[in-house]
Amino acid sequence: MAAPLTLLLIVAVTIRAALYRSSLADLISERVEVVSPLTAWKRVVEGLALLDLGVSPYSGDVFHETPLIIYFFHFLVDYAEITFMLADVITAVALYMTVKDYNKQVFRKQKYALEADRYPLDCLELIRSPKEMYYIPLKVAMFYLLNPFTILSCVAKSTCGLNNAVIALFILSTIKGNVLLSAVFLSLATYQSIYPLTLCAAALLYLMQRQYIPVNYRRASFWWFIAQYAFMYLGSLFVIVCLSFFLLGSWDYLPSVYGFILSVPDLTPNIGLFWYFFAEMFEHFRLFFLCVFQINVFFYTIPLSIKLKEHPVFLIFMQLAVISIFKSYPTVGDIALYLAFLPVWSHLHRFLRNIFLVSCVLLACSALFPVLWHLWIYAGSANSNFYYAITLLFNVAQILLVSDYFYAFLRREHHLTYGLYLKRKDGSEATLVLK
Amino acid sequence: MKILTFFSLFSTFLSANSINVEENAGQFFSSGHTNNWAVLVCTSRFWFNYRHVANTLSVYRSVKRLGIPDSHIVLMLADDMACNHRNPKPATVFSHKNMELNVYGDDVEVDYRGYEVTVENFLRVLTGRLPPSTPRSKRLLSDDRSNILIYLTGHGGNGFLKFQDSEEISNVELADAFEQMWQKRRYNELLFIIDTCQGASMYERFYSPNLMALASSQVGEDSLSHQPDLAIGVHLMDRYTFYLLEFLEDIHPASKANMKDLFKVCPKSQCVSTPGHRTDLFLRDPGSALITDFFGSVRKVEITMETINLTDLIKEAEQKNIHTTANLQFPPLHLSSFLPYLTPYPQKPKQKDWHPPDGFILGLWTLILLVFFKTYGIKHLKHIF
Repeated sequence: MAAPLTLLLIVAVTIRAALYRSSLADLISERVEVVSPLTAWKRVVEGLALLDLGVSPYSGDVFHETPLIIYFFHFLVDYAEITFMLADVITAVALYMTVKDYNKQVFRKQKYALEADRYPLDCLELIRSPKEMYYIPLKVAMFYLLNPFTILSCVAKSTCGLNNAVIALFILSTIKGNVLLSAVFLSLATYQSIYPLTLCAAALLYLMQRQYIPVNYRRASFWWFIAQYAFMYLGSLFVIVCLSFFLLGSWDYLPSVYGFILSVPDLTPNIGLFWYFFAEMFEHFRLFFLCVFQINVFFYTIPLSIKLKEHPVFLIFMQLAVISIFKSYPTVGDIALYLAFLPVWSHLHRFLRNIFLVSCVLLACSALFPVLWHLWIYAGSANSNFYYAITLLFNVAQILLVSDYFYAFLRREHHLTYGLYLKRKDGSEATLVLK
Repeated sequence: MKILTFFSLFSTFLSANSINVEENAGQFFSSGHTNNWAVLVCTSRFWFNYRHVANTLSVYRSVKRLGIPDSHIVLMLADDMACNHRNPKPATVFSHKNMELNVYGDDVEVDYRGYEVTVENFLRVLTGRLPPSTPRSKRLLSDDRSNILIYLTGHGGNGFLKFQDSEEISNVELADAFEQMWQKRRYNELLFIIDTCQGASMYERFYSPNLMALASSQVGEDSLSHQPDLAIGVHLMDRYTFYLLEFLEDIHPASKANMKDLFKVCPKSQCVSTPGHRTDLFLRDPGSALITDFFGSVRKVEITMETINLTDLIKEAEQKNIHTTANLQFPPLHLSSFLPYLTPYPQKPKQKDWHPPDGFILGLWTLILLVFFKTYGIKHLKHIF
């Protein structure tokens, strides 16, 4: 499968290079849906220029990237385009290898379950075969690389591409079972933006199952593993944070980066939910609603991980989706990362109920974003409510997509345990409801 | 060109005094201006502020009479008193009771009228930062050889002057505007006269050279109006400007009256408030500055058949100036001494390339190597060494 993958990579790189050379690059790098105050390339260049003038880049409200990005781009600012294309390529290859490994594990588990006769007889059509699973890794890489959202994000040189690369590497190292690398990449991802912290639970669950540690809070080995992982994770996070202190010799990157992500001072419109609320909120209630919104991101971890503790990879997918929808400054690059996983669950298509609705709404909203922005900002005949309506609709469509997949996944699992054609006690046909 | 200007200016003094050209030529180098401008601003509107418009128009009249043409006067009147419905004598603005003197004739050119008189427009006129579509009559096209007279009147307080009953200009803003003018070489010398309550506060913050300021009252005092006219029903003039006008009526283009006489205008007995003045920023001795240096535009030409050595006179004037201004920080009136002011903005800081500290690089790469070897085993170490 190396040859088709290479072909895909070449095609993707060509598309991006072509767009870089066209006049669209400037236009795209200013779109608020693609860049946010956290990830804009303009701000990175500004921060580096400030540094050359001898001023800390964190003074003022311009630069909100971490010091490692400063170090990274200090030497690579002239090769920025190649860097971002390389980041996309790394993400795609990492996802490819991840999904290949995951498929192997899924198939192996399925084989053991079949041999142990754990499936009821009538759900054999739900069993997956290697033939249908053969092209899934390639499809995943394709979904990521040729997704218009990713291409836009790469052409805009948004550092979201780098964040995605780190998260993809984290997922790869988790799937491969390497505890240290997984902790290191997770701490890097958390260092970049705080929200991947929620992926900790999923990684823990997966690694424990891989090492055959029973996921039971009464067992000592459970807590010991958690302690090990937490030590590695927190230790590497601490080391990276301290190292960042030594780059500029001051701690003022902490309020600039993490304070900025958590307290949302910049209310530039984006495709998220924060800006409109906080633009119209009274100061008195601001802290309260800030806490509510931020807890909303982290809150879904616990119930989801309890429900999906047998399926940690699906949990990772759900968590990524929740982060992308509810984070404080989302961009289309974040969405592209979890959309790349959709081919992995393509076998759920018979249980998905809202494919048409979701795809129509997503397409329509993506098309309407620039239209309503133009009407609001340039033509003056609309106002922020119009743009926010489309933002809301877009997020609702995403939530519907995620919950639909959740429903389909759980329903398939249910069928695999209880049989495909469900009968009530008196023999009539029953329907399954997600409660 | 310069020789001609020098020549014409020095001949002026020749005609005023005796045939002793050398003496007058020495005096002429002391002023150094070649053209005159005036910015006359009335900042109040409404009928009961009639006197402010009358103040401004009186000064306008004097300045025009003494030779400054309309093209060099920027007249800003915030309200139209002559055509106000409450004016019993339309198309007139009187400055003396019993309608003795109509200062509003048919040759008054108002450049900024009504709502155009705003703080922003005033500051833009002073600093010259006007949109390209502004006509010449609305611009202050002064250069570094211009003497400018700025006259402000209206309602003021400690540190501010009210414009149009809705906004204010502060003394700091005014001082900064003058500094901008200095750095952009927009004036040679500037005389600032203000007739408002607590007017002295407006010149407290000046810090640019070559400014002289007069105010009608000190901080904490109010400037009072002079006389009401019972037929028109409002006060016609403010006291300070009334006596200033009386003083100016005696000045003609050849007059030798100097600034020290101007400071004596309107003592406390007549004005009730104490007029103030500020000359510490002015590089010449105020006694050597003529009234006509600011209020008039003197343009007489005399022909002489004698030859005059100008360079000696320059040195002489310089020495005289150094003598009198020895206790000031400002450099003497030599062109090369303006060089510090010719680079008004600080140099852009040198573009030093920033490098990450070595400890950081070392630490980072050590960590990366550690993680790499931990993951892939120590056996790869032999490939490094």
